[in-house]
Amino acid sequence: MANMLMKAACTAMLLGLLSACGGGGGGEDVAGGSLPAVTPAGTSGPAPKPTATEASRFLIQSSFGPTEADIETLRTSSYANWINAQFALPVGSTALDFLDKRRVEIKAANATQDVSANQFYEYFWRSAVTSPDQLRQRVTFSLSQIFVISFAGADINPRGAASYYDMLSANSFGNFRKLLEDVTLHPMMGIYLTHIANRKEDPATGRTPDENYAREILQLFSIGLFELNTDGTVKKDSAGNPIPSYTSADISNLAKVFTGFSWFNATPSNGTFGGGGRTDASFVTPMIAYPAFHSLSEKRFLGTVIPASTTSDATGDLKIALDTIFNHPNVGPFIGRQLIQRLVTSNPSPAYVGRVASAFNNNGSGVRGDMRAVIRAVLLDTEARTAVPVNDATYGKLREPVLRMTALLRAGSASSKSGNWTLNSTSAATSLSQTPLASPSVFNFYRPGYSPPNTKTGNLGLVAPEMQIVNEVTVAGYLNTMQTTINSGIGSGSGGSDVTLPYAKEMALANNPAALVDHLNNVLTAGSLTTARRQQIIDAVTAVAIPATPTTTLAQIDAALLNRSKLAMFLTVASPDFIIQR
Amino acid sequence: MKALPQSRRQFLAAAGAVGLVAPVATGFGMQLAAFGSAASQSATGYKALVFIFLNGGNDANNTILPTDMDSWNRYWAARNTGADPIALMPVGTAAVAVGATSPLTGRVASLRTPEAWGGVLPFTPKTAQAIPAGTNATTRTFAFHPMLAPLLPVYTQGRLAVIANVGTLIEPITKAQFNAKQKRTPANLFSHNDQQDTWRAGMGEGAQFGWGGRFADLVASGNGSNSLFTAMSPAGNTVFLSGNQVVQYQFSTAAIPAPRINALTTTSLFGSNQGPAKAQEIIRDTTIASNLGADVGTIVGRSIDSAVTLNTAAGGSLVTAIPAPPSYTNPITGLVEANSLSAQLQAVARMIAAAPALGLKRQVFYVAVGGYDTHDNQNADHPNNLSKVANAMATFDATLANIGGVDMRSSVTTFTGSDFSRTYNTNGDGTDHAWGGHHLIMGGAVKGGDMYGQFPTVGNNLGSFNNPDQNGGYHVPTTSVDQYAATLGSWFGVSNTDLAAIFPNLKNFASPNLGFML
Repeated sequence: MANMLMKAACTAMLLGLLSACGGGGGGEDVAGGSLPAVTPAGTSGPAPKPTATEASRFLIQSSFGPTEADIETLRTSSYANWINAQFALPVGSTALDFLDKRRVEIKAANATQDVSANQFYEYFWRSAVTSPDQLRQRVTFSLSQIFVISFAGADINPRGAASYYDMLSANSFGNFRKLLEDVTLHPMMGIYLTHIANRKEDPATGRTPDENYAREILQLFSIGLFELNTDGTVKKDSAGNPIPSYTSADISNLAKVFTGFSWFNATPSNGTFGGGGRTDASFVTPMIAYPAFHSLSEKRFLGTVIPASTTSDATGDLKIALDTIFNHPNVGPFIGRQLIQRLVTSNPSPAYVGRVASAFNNNGSGVRGDMRAVIRAVLLDTEARTAVPVNDATYGKLREPVLRMTALLRAGSASSKSGNWTLNSTSAATSLSQTPLASPSVFNFYRPGYSPPNTKTGNLGLVAPEMQIVNEVTVAGYLNTMQTTINSGIGSGSGGSDVTLPYAKEMALANNPAALVDHLNNVLTAGSLTTARRQQIIDAVTAVAIPATPTTTLAQIDAALLNRSKLAMFLTVASPDFIIQR
Repeated sequence: MKALPQSRRQFLAAAGAVGLVAPVATGFGMQLAAFGSAASQSATGYKALVFIFLNGGNDANNTILPTDMDSWNRYWAARNTGADPIALMPVGTAAVAVGATSPLTGRVASLRTPEAWGGVLPFTPKTAQAIPAGTNATTRTFAFHPMLAPLLPVYTQGRLAVIANVGTLIEPITKAQFNAKQKRTPANLFSHNDQQDTWRAGMGEGAQFGWGGRFADLVASGNGSNSLFTAMSPAGNTVFLSGNQVVQYQFSTAAIPAPRINALTTTSLFGSNQGPAKAQEIIRDTTIASNLGADVGTIVGRSIDSAVTLNTAAGGSLVTAIPAPPSYTNPITGLVEANSLSAQLQAVARMIAAAPALGLKRQVFYVAVGGYDTHDNQNADHPNNLSKVANAMATFDATLANIGGVDMRSSVTTFTGSDFSRTYNTNGDGTDHAWGGHHLIMGGAVKGGDMYGQFPTVGNNLGSFNNPDQNGGYHVPTTSVDQYAATLGSWFGVSNTDLAAIFPNLKNFASPNLGFML
């Protein structure tokens, strides 16, 4: 659908109504002649050193937000080398490690208490703001919005969720086939999409296996609703209609594959299948096969047939099913487009999607599903890197509220007094309307195909997923949350907020409002503030008078410098220039 | 036109006389006298539609049940099975004490087993339902889920109706025609998000215009200077409320419905007397060379411009008198918990009470709750869901009965929808995605105490029984969402011409009006 609408927008471009179409439409043309071509994955060429603005823009796409230090590091390197260095960074402290450490602390204070979702949120903010493996962290967060489980849903165990997030992280630079399998067998996905303890059919009563996971693994985690071309455009039949990529029969047959998997137990029994005898390990260990509950019938899906059998082979059947799904031609464009949307732009050109899908299909060494190749393709593509699309009013994306907050905290060198980053849930409409791993449903906080009604974006038939959580109430919630965070911090703590900004850097610049604003423009908005916007902020900041010495104390001067710093910070993160990324 | 009761006139007098403004042109060439036609029925009256959306796909099969012998026996066979049987107990069954053994099932009751809830609650539609093929009863009898008890009096008093087997359709279709692919059907049946939007907007993901918003387009001019409040939701963005001109307007369930942007409410921001003014310029900038940036600026501007008006109206005595949702106890856990739907409906009641002060004549509201995707654990989740719905609707009905001394129930029609119903067969402890389902319509203008549409034959296709209405585990709908919506629209004042334009498939059905509204 979105692609159909893209076409309409491209037609408008041809009519001269737009300067470009979603950053392309023609792919290769986008680079133009005047800008240095960026080396795509798998080709050789000199790697240009990015400018500060270019480095900041890249880090907005590839991390939880630029810091001055990261910008400077990248300026001496290249995008490709930075990505390689990030790939090489070890996985740091895992979420499960963190929760288990917190569990000891919490139980020491009160033996009846245990970790809750809040401790996962602590881990998230701590890692997002402070962890050096920013690319892994950012990709993991993106994957958590495709392979969704949610604390807002059924009984998600906090340690289980931490383990699930670790699993996404461990696979973020791995292979998609293993990611798909690990997602499928994780007990928290089993809980969330209800295929844990799923029993084979009973023809005598008409009881059938739970179809939930079978449906969503296809619709949301791999191939989507309609057959796609490699460039993500929807294939059409001879009558011009989209071709569904699966039928109800595919779902009911695939559901039989996902029977007979349940809780890990060292000595499995019928009782442990139903959840009896669970230990801590059960929540963080892949589900195991319980042969007696796995369907023996024929399973016919997506052109593959697993014949009826007299012996139960849950693991073997699962391998056939996941291989079939993984090798479906839709996976590359379906997943690739969503990763582009999470990291770079809401309406990538078909050519861009096609290049990313090609990297998924073959990493250059004949390997399918290499996530490193996919990530390189997303971030190094001309449509991601060239500055041309910045002049295109349709290019870019809305930054998610969580990413706006991480960007503020990173750019402002925030720290946590407790070390626990106690932001807790930020789901309320009066907060950020978004908490990591707490979307309302498996359909995430927003849909990839959401087209905001009655907007410039919607009128062009373009999509803007993140706009699904922007409305009259949430814009106020966001601005008020940022104002409070900047003023006094965020997160519960004893003796004031737990997470605060130091303002040392900003206060040192605040005697010169232009220098202050230029610094924030560098770290928060990749130099994208217009001349007029820069002046608006400078004017507001200048109106905070610095008391003249020697009639005032140093403390009074510092108070004014602090106010200037906070005001400049607030007006920058309040501006549409920051809220969107281009 | 019916004479207005005196109290009604007083309510409207409080609203102040708002002249009808000439309708604005619409993008679809429907400069219809929509408001005029509404006016002809009730020139100065207030009307509101309130859509309750049950996200996830409500199991209609355990919401409204046919209780004639054949139907019940097939129900029992289909659902009194599996690791955690989800069959409700027959009419008249006494609730079994927790820990005691049910004489009917031989199972020990707990709070989360149907044995503990007692039998389903019988009701009799005024109009006899046709006896479907495969059912040998002389009359069809029905019952509600035990947790719908709070709605029984509303039904008995004639303000609640049931619409049977309604679903997303393009044209009438039978099971045989579906299997032979002889008729068109909506895309992506059984997909949550697509079917939700097909219910709300006639197409799947990517839809931009919903029928609530299209209705609102036609009446917004009658709402005068506060037409921004024509289509409102406390439940997050919904395409249902987006029209060609009318925007979905979000409000909060908190006492202050429009949260203010704090940076703008002070004379100085971080010590800068220019701060608030510059902040306002920056956050509502719509000239930025980015469509998304401008789109955000537009919404921020709307938020700023509307807040004082709405909050002032919400401070009126009619509004502050609206009761908060009553405390709610989960019948399965015995624990007090929030009833989000009731909070939303009471917030809607506050907006309805604020309407006179705002000069509003027609409004469309959307509220929503999740948790209906009961693939498993249905015995714990579904009864609590239905209990919340019943309590919230009954509370809303009672609240509307007295808004500043005026009975507003005939002015407000509340109705339910959901992605789809769920499979008739169990998967052991839950149910999967299906199609046609049964829904509730409530209000003083509803011809209640009755059932509309054709209730399907129920029962799984087992042995020699071939259910003519059920394919696999789902019922093929016999009434379309478009018919359901158009009947509501007709009451709301939308002309037949406009309905035909809004619902292009309506012409495919014999009855564009199902007759459940006065």
